[in-house]
Amino acid sequence: MNIYQPQLALVTAVTEETPDTRTLRLELKDEALRNAFAFHAGQFGEYSVFGAGESTFCIASPPTRKGFIECSFKAVGKVTSALREVNVGDTVGFRGPYGNWFPVDDWKGKDVVFIAGGIGLAPVRCVIWNVLDRRDEFGDVTIVYGARSVVDLVYKRELQEWASRSDVRIVTTVDPGGQTDDWKGEVGYVTPVVEATAPQAQNAVAVLCGPPIVVKLTLPVLERLGFADDAIFTTLENRMKCGLGKCGRCNIGPVYVCKDGPVFTAAQLKELPAEY
Amino acid sequence: MTSADPTRGTYFITEDDLRALTGELLGAGTEVIAPVALDVCASPSAIASSACLRPGVKPIDIEYRALESAAQLNLGSGLPVLSLKQYFLPEYEALCCWRQHGTEIEIEAVPTEFAPRVVLAAKPCDSAALAVVDKVMNWDYADELWNGRREATTIVNLACPVVDESCFCTAVGTAPDDAKGADALLTPVEGGFLMEATTDKGRALVEAHAARFTAEEGAGGAGARGRQAAEERAAARARAAANLEIDAASVRDWIDTHFEDPLLAALGVRCNGCGACSSVCPTCHCFDIVDEEEGIGKGTRRRCWDTCQAPTFTLHASGHNPRDSQNPRYRQRINHKFAIYPLKFGEVLCTGCGRCTRVCHAGQDLVEILQAIDIAARRREAVSP
Repeated sequence: MNIYQPQLALVTAVTEETPDTRTLRLELKDEALRNAFAFHAGQFGEYSVFGAGESTFCIASPPTRKGFIECSFKAVGKVTSALREVNVGDTVGFRGPYGNWFPVDDWKGKDVVFIAGGIGLAPVRCVIWNVLDRRDEFGDVTIVYGARSVVDLVYKRELQEWASRSDVRIVTTVDPGGQTDDWKGEVGYVTPVVEATAPQAQNAVAVLCGPPIVVKLTLPVLERLGFADDAIFTTLENRMKCGLGKCGRCNIGPVYVCKDGPVFTAAQLKELPAEY
Repeated sequence: MTSADPTRGTYFITEDDLRALTGELLGAGTEVIAPVALDVCASPSAIASSACLRPGVKPIDIEYRALESAAQLNLGSGLPVLSLKQYFLPEYEALCCWRQHGTEIEIEAVPTEFAPRVVLAAKPCDSAALAVVDKVMNWDYADELWNGRREATTIVNLACPVVDESCFCTAVGTAPDDAKGADALLTPVEGGFLMEATTDKGRALVEAHAARFTAEEGAGGAGARGRQAAEERAAARARAAANLEIDAASVRDWIDTHFEDPLLAALGVRCNGCGACSSVCPTCHCFDIVDEEEGIGKGTRRRCWDTCQAPTFTLHASGHNPRDSQNPRYRQRINHKFAIYPLKFGEVLCTGCGRCTRVCHAGQDLVEILQAIDIAARRREAVSP
């Protein structure tokens, strides 16, 4: 067995998030591996449908929930289209966990602000649940989440669950034109909604993930709100193949995103060429 | 004459004995890879590269191939069309096979241990490239497929007289008489070759064929043949150095700190992204991973050579492409080879074989590019306090 050979995983649940996005729950078939499997919030894996190939996604479930992992993806390419066709009881391939992680333990006692756009909520969701599963250890929790339209919001049931909690402040928004008649959330792009929400920056960290344009536009807003560059964390979603620091695909400047990342602070991001 | 004592370093072998040794290896069933006359029918991928595309470039007429007979062994001075890379990172390589039974999948592992084999008359730039790529293949996760082939292979270099004006090995930390990445070095001398075994595997090869070697008189190559070899080797080094001299450390630091410099940002203007440079490069190791179905419900997952010069290399599923034109893609090639890899792994990701320059039909010339960067780097040094 070599480092590129995947483990087999059973699909135990499928959730259709939007017309083109779904979440799979996977359990490693090998019992010993399943019991020993551990990861940190922010790490990723290589998921495969045999015959279609491998694709890279973060692990979207939190490390505090054992025995399974979840991944969420939008069906846009060959592998994700094939993953869209799998059913409960099917077998897929998994390699991981790979990469670095969010230093959640270092955030004890701090406020945590989560900002996500579109499918970018998947890696952030892992950290949100990780923090909520250890709720007492952290200060205020704020979530700002936006999607193109109401139908494009992922994890709708969890958005409601978070909204119903008194220990979470959540603001959801959809792009102008994406609202429905009964939409109760904000209408506007994520960046101005973050600015209007104005989470306080003192003794706080921000976790930001979304399309490159959302990350690019939101970083200066967080700076204006007083967040230091080393208190802003993001996860880069560069195209990857091996996940092991060999195939060269995710290399930007001095870093291999799969090994040195995918989690970077805004301070680290500023040191990189803008090739992400 | 006495047979070789493998505990001593330098031996003499005649060409006849070298061919006889090759025959002994083949007779024992050992795979022997060596330069042979190019057979464009046998390796169609070599056709394009074998053409003499640029003035002053020698036509390429040899390639590395598994020998069928010792007579095929080509001990000339030319450069094989492709490097040794394909024998350690095959162009298409199985990573695992799968077989589907209903909803069940069975995975079959591929072997990571390989039969012993010998490479003869390797170009020093090609063996050095293997030692350079060893670093990325082992910096954390160990690539068992690469390592398995490396461990199974004994490499004997043949000192190179320097092929043509595109060669620049001495500018990037190796030399035409280097045994880096190899286990022994042959240097042509009057009547045959001096052979220096530099690793245990090299010494084992000498020991296994001790009757073919004679211990060279004069320790450390101090004999007449040793002096001749030293002269030839010094002359070859001088020829390589005449092609290109740069300060690799300054080049590295300059590239690292001048990402947006117009010189780096416009390098790809002539490049059309065909990726031939990556294919022929002994150090380019980037790969893709693809599934290939072989009938219904079974297939093989393979890795295959890829190139950072292709637009799809970094294309996100969303359509966003961080390197969306040829200029940033070519800059990545230069940056990765001469700054990123040296800073991360302490080695330049280039051994100066010059194949990329010779093969480029757009006229991208790495010697020219490195010269330009070196001049820029020195100018900065001249003005900095």
